[in-house]
Amino acid sequence: METIAVYWESRIKTYGFQRMPGLALIELSCPVGTIKSLGEILTHDDMQALRAPFIAAQESDRELSFIFCLPEREGKGFHASLEQTRIPTSHRYVYPVGIIFFHGPHFGDRYGIADAAFSAISKAGIQLIASGCASSSVYLILAQDDLDRAEEALTKAFEVAA
Amino acid sequence: MERVKLGGLKQSLELCQFDLKGPDSPEKIVPRVCKLLASQKINIAFLTLSQMNDEFHQLTMCPHQYDFTRTSGLLNTKGTLPRGWGIQSRKHVGILTVFPHRSPIRILGLVMVAWAAQSIPLHGIATSLSAISFITDYRSIDRGIEIIQNSFQLPDDHAPIKPELVYYQSDEVKKDKGN
Repeated sequence: METIAVYWESRIKTYGFQRMPGLALIELSCPVGTIKSLGEILTHDDMQALRAPFIAAQESDRELSFIFCLPEREGKGFHASLEQTRIPTSHRYVYPVGIIFFHGPHFGDRYGIADAAFSAISKAGIQLIASGCASSSVYLILAQDDLDRAEEALTKAFEVAA
Repeated sequence: MERVKLGGLKQSLELCQFDLKGPDSPEKIVPRVCKLLASQKINIAFLTLSQMNDEFHQLTMCPHQYDFTRTSGLLNTKGTLPRGWGIQSRKHVGILTVFPHRSPIRILGLVMVAWAAQSIPLHGIATSLSAISFITDYRSIDRGIEIIQNSFQLPDDHAPIKPELVYYQSDEVKKDKGN
């Protein structure tokens, strides 16, 4: 069965922007063959109190590169404990970063959402540190000082549903 | 041992994957590529961007599988990407999204361990407030689901894991079917 619904919006609607400042970004990588060992580390009891608002991983050349965004204090401890294990190779520790994220109706099913988000950020001259878009969510990781300008730029590009 | 509770599990439709990798200027490349795909009405179901190994930037995108040829053609057109940027692709991938009740880092670790033990490939991850999405080969997705079902406790009244509704976005209404 096919249902056709007609829906038009002059600006893409979102449920609103949420910001998380004061985070540390930890970038590390491990060979694909050691994923199981890294997974075991993440299941340790001392990792369970960690609040990680954003995690992403990408595969390249038989390696998985991860980024973890954590509150600063937790980030330092996480970084230090991973370095002790010597399984992942640590590449970057960036502080302070901030996240601005938003959701919208059927964002994962519609074209043009990423275009609207990244064009707005680019036009405002803001440099993206990282990003992740999955399901109906868009996460942008930026230098903390850029959060205000990013929200301003995104507010022009998207309409916050009342 | 008591299995860890999951709030839910959802499978994507069949997708494909493009990894664009280059030394610099992601702030220019990412909007350009996203605009190009949007202009051809190609939806990106999954996207991650990050710097890797302090050396290069990588943009990973997953459009629908039926858009593989069109996307590949657009991305490989001369001039789309600057010098130094390269493209790698996978024709058939899928995304499995888990919805943790709590302890997302533990659940991420448990899935990594369980999948690695059964040689289920992992090509990408992205988290949000309530979900963790894993990219794997489409042919491995049923096995990946089975492993998660055996490793975690899902709600008894869990909604279907496979998508039942398929959404298409169009800017025109089919004349023979709509008003």
